[in-house]
Amino acid sequence: MSQQQTKNCITLRGSAQILCEYLKFAINSVLFQRGLYPPESFKAEQQYGITLLISEDPQIKDFLTNLLTQSEEWIIKKKVNKLSLIIINVANKEILECWDFNVQYEDGDVALSKEKNETVGSKDVKKIQQEIRDVMLQVAATISYLPFLDCRCSFDVLVHAKTDCDVPDKWAEAEPVSIANAQNVQLKSFTTSLHKMETVVSYKFVD
Amino acid sequence: MAKEGDMSLFADVLEPFRRVINTDPPKDKLSSASKLNFSDSNQSLKEGIGNLLSLGKRKSSIGMMNDMSTPEKRLRTESGSTPASAPPSPWETKRLKGDLIAARAQIIQLESRISHQHTLRKEMQIMFDEEKGCLMEQHKRDERRLSEMEDRLQLIRRREQDLKDDYNEAVKQHKDYKLKWDQEKIELQKQIAELKDNLLDAHVSSKDQLSEMKKDMDELLQALEGAQSESELLKKEVERLSTKAEQCSTMRTQLEKTMFELQVANNKVKELEYEKDSYHDWQQQVKTAQKRLSNMADLEKEVGRLRAQERSLRDIASNKLLLEEQVHVLQSRVDALQPVQNELHEAKVKLATIESALEEWRSAARAHGIDTARGLSSALEAAFTSQITAADTTSKAQSTVAQLTEEVATLKFERDKVTARVNDLAAVKKTHENLIHRLQKRLLLVTRERDSYREQLDCYEKELTVTLCGSAGAGGAALLSARVEQLEKALQSYRDLLAASEPAAQHAVVENLRAEASKSRDEAAALRREAGKLRAQRDTLQLQLERISQHAPTKILHLTDNPAAEAHKQVQLDYEAAQEEIKRLKAALRDGGDSKACPDEIQQLKQQLESSKIKLKRLKEEFTSSAQEYRDVCYMLLGYKIDRTGHKNYRISNMYAESSEEYLTFNLDEDGIEMVHTDYSATLGELVELHLHQHRSIPLFLSALTMELFTKTTMQQVQ
Repeated sequence: MSQQQTKNCITLRGSAQILCEYLKFAINSVLFQRGLYPPESFKAEQQYGITLLISEDPQIKDFLTNLLTQSEEWIIKKKVNKLSLIIINVANKEILECWDFNVQYEDGDVALSKEKNETVGSKDVKKIQQEIRDVMLQVAATISYLPFLDCRCSFDVLVHAKTDCDVPDKWAEAEPVSIANAQNVQLKSFTTSLHKMETVVSYKFVD
Repeated sequence: MAKEGDMSLFADVLEPFRRVINTDPPKDKLSSASKLNFSDSNQSLKEGIGNLLSLGKRKSSIGMMNDMSTPEKRLRTESGSTPASAPPSPWETKRLKGDLIAARAQIIQLESRISHQHTLRKEMQIMFDEEKGCLMEQHKRDERRLSEMEDRLQLIRRREQDLKDDYNEAVKQHKDYKLKWDQEKIELQKQIAELKDNLLDAHVSSKDQLSEMKKDMDELLQALEGAQSESELLKKEVERLSTKAEQCSTMRTQLEKTMFELQVANNKVKELEYEKDSYHDWQQQVKTAQKRLSNMADLEKEVGRLRAQERSLRDIASNKLLLEEQVHVLQSRVDALQPVQNELHEAKVKLATIESALEEWRSAARAHGIDTARGLSSALEAAFTSQITAADTTSKAQSTVAQLTEEVATLKFERDKVTARVNDLAAVKKTHENLIHRLQKRLLLVTRERDSYREQLDCYEKELTVTLCGSAGAGGAALLSARVEQLEKALQSYRDLLAASEPAAQHAVVENLRAEASKSRDEAAALRREAGKLRAQRDTLQLQLERISQHAPTKILHLTDNPAAEAHKQVQLDYEAAQEEIKRLKAALRDGGDSKACPDEIQQLKQQLESSKIKLKRLKEEFTSSAQEYRDVCYMLLGYKIDRTGHKNYRISNMYAESSEEYLTFNLDEDGIEMVHTDYSATLGELVELHLHQHRSIPLFLSALTMELFTKTTMQQVQ
C-alpha cells in the first residue's frame, strides 16, 4: 500500500519539473522542425520513448535553462497562465508563428493531498509520459501543414504571468503579440493531475 | 346680499308666529297685538334684535305678571272692579269666575307660548351669535384683506410712481436725445449743405480743370503735331545729312586716297630729290672720279680691296642671317620646352598624390579582405543587388497584402450571397410547408366527404333492403324497383364522383407536392445543418475570443537577452555596417568615379598615357626639329622659304626678296600646282610670260626669279 503510494505520488515541484522538461523538449523540437537553426547544431536524445533533438548551441541552452528555471518557480507559485514561443521574422519583427503552452492548475488527488499535507497528484508517470509523447509526435507532424519559413527568423518565449508577479533581474515586460489572419491548431493536451498543459500553434494563414 | 339672506331667514323664522297670531281668537286680538307686536315686524336687524330685547323685557314683565297683573290687566281688573263695587251678582260672579278661568287658561297658553318664544329666541340668539362670529371673522378677514390690498395698492402706487419716474426720465431722455439728434441733424444738414457747396465748387473747379486740361491737351496735341512735323523735317534733314555724310565719307575716302597718292607723290618727289642729290653727288663723284681716274691703278687696287671687303661683309651678313635663324629656332624650342617642364612638375606632384590615394584605397580594400579592384567592385555590386532584391521582396509583399485584402473582400461578398440564398430557401421552404399543410387539409376534407358519401350510400342500401323486405305489393315492387334503379344510378354517379375526386390526377399532384415538400424538407435540414455548423464555428470563435480576452489581465514577461532580440541586434548591426559600407562606397564612387575607381588599371593607363604623351611630344619635337631642319635645308639649297598657309595653299618667299611682302602663292589641285595671282606676281609679268606660259615650268620660273633677285641685290650692293 505504502509502496504504491510513493510510486504514484507527484508533488507540485515534480509536476512543474515535468512541465518544464516538456517545454524544453517541445521548444527544441519546434526550433528543429521549423528550421530556425541549422540541423547540425542539434543532437538526438532519447526521451519519452522517442528520439528528440536538442540544440547544442550554448546560447540557446543558456536561454532555455534561464527561462525554464524561472518558469518552474512561477508554475509552482501558480503565477503562469501561458508560455508563448513566438517565431519572429528578424527583418521586420513580424510574428510568423506562436506556440502557446497554456498551463492550467488542477487540484490533483485531494484525498492523498490531505494525507500528505501538501498538494500532490497520483497520476502514473508512465501515463503522463505517454501523453507527452503523443503531443511531441503531433508537434513533429505540424511541419506538414505549417507554412514554410523562408526568411531569417528568430524566436522568443513570452511568459504570460499574473499581474501580481514581480519582474526578476534580466526579465522585462513585453508587448502582447498578435498574428494577422491567424490560423489556430489545437494539439493534444496532457495533464499531470496537478497541471494541465495545452499546446496550441497559431500561424499566419496564407492561401 | 347677506343681509337680505338674513332677512329672509328671519322672516321664515317669524312666519309661524304670525300664523299663530292670526289664528288667535278675535277677542284677544287687540291685547295680543299690543303685547306681541310680531306682525309689526321691523325689517332691520338691529330692530329685530331690539325687538328681541324688548321681548326679554316683556318676558321679565310677564314673569312679574304671574305675581301681579299687568297694568292693562290691572286696568281691566280695575275696570272689572269698578262694576264690582256694586255687589256682585251670582251670575256675575259666575261669569267672572268663568272669565277668570278663561283668563287663566289664556295665561297658561300665553306662558307656554312665551316659553316657546323664549326657546326660539335662545335659538335665534345662538344663531345670531354664530352669525355674528362668522360675520366678525369675515369682517376681520375683510379687514385683513383690505389691509393687504392697501399694502398692495401702496406697493402698486409706489411702483406706479417709480414707473412714472422712469417714464418721466425716459421722456426727458427722449427729449434730450431728440434735441441732441435734432442738433446733430441740423449739423449734418449743415455739413450736407457744405458738402454740396464743396461738391458744386469741386464740379466747377473740375470743369475748369477739365477745360484747362482740354486746352492743355489741345496745346499738347498741337505741340505733338508740331513735333511730328518737326521730326519729319528732322528726318528729312537727317536723310539729307546722311546723304551728305555719305558724300563726305566718299569724299574723305577720296581725300584719303588723294592724300595717299600725295604722300606717294611726295615720297617720289623726295626720292627724286634724293636721286637728284645723289645725282649731284654722282656728278661730284664723277668729277672726283675723273680726277681719280688719273690715279687709276690706285683706284683699281682700292676696288679690289673694296670688293674683298664687300664679299666678307656679304658672308658676314649671310652668317648673321643664319645665326638669327638659329636663334629663332632655339627660342621657339625653349618656348616649347617650358610648358613641358611645367607639366612635368605637375605630373610629379599628381603622381605623388595618386600614389598616396592608391595606398589608401589598397589599405581600405585590405581591411575588407578584398585585395583587388575587381573584388571591391563585385562586393559593391553584391550590396546593390541585395538592396534591389530587398526592395523587390517588399514590393512583392505589398502586392500579396493587397491581393489578400481583395480576396477577403470577395469571400465576404460570397458569404453574404450564401446567407441571402439561405434566407431565400428558408422562405421557399416555409411557403412549401404552408402549401403542404393546405393540401393535407384539403385531402382530409376530401376523404371525409368520401366517407360521408359512403355512409350515405350504406344508409340507402340498408333502407333499400328494408323496404324490399318490408313491402310485398306488386305496385310497390315496381315502384321500389324504379327507386332502386334510381338509387343505383345515383350510386353510380356518386361512385363516378368518388372516382373523379379520389384519383390519380389529384394523387399525382399530391405526390408531386409531397416530393417537393420532402425535397424542401431535405433542403431545410441541410440548411439547418449548415446553420448548426456555423453556430458551432461561431461558438468556437467566441470561446477563442473569450480566451483571448481572458489573457488580457496577465502580464507578459520575457528574458531581455532572448535570441530574437539578439538576432535583431545582429541584423541591425549588419544593416548598419552594410549601410556604412554602401555610404563609403558611394562616397568613393562620387569622389573618384572618374580617376580613382580602379586605381591599378587607371594607374597603368595613366602611365601609358603619360608615356605615350611623352612619346608624342618627343615625336613632335623630333618632327618639328627635322621639319625645321628640312625647311632650313630647302631654304639654304633652293633659296625659297615655303610656308603652308592653308589647305593646299603654299606661300613661298625668296631668300633674296627685298621685303616680306614679296611672296608668291601656289595652290595645289588635282592637275598639279598653280600659281595664284598676287600683288607681287603682277610685277613679274615678263618672267611669268616667259617661264610659265611658254616653258610651263614652275622650277624654271622660280630659278629665274632667284637669279634675277640675286642679281638685283648684288647689283645694289655692288653699286
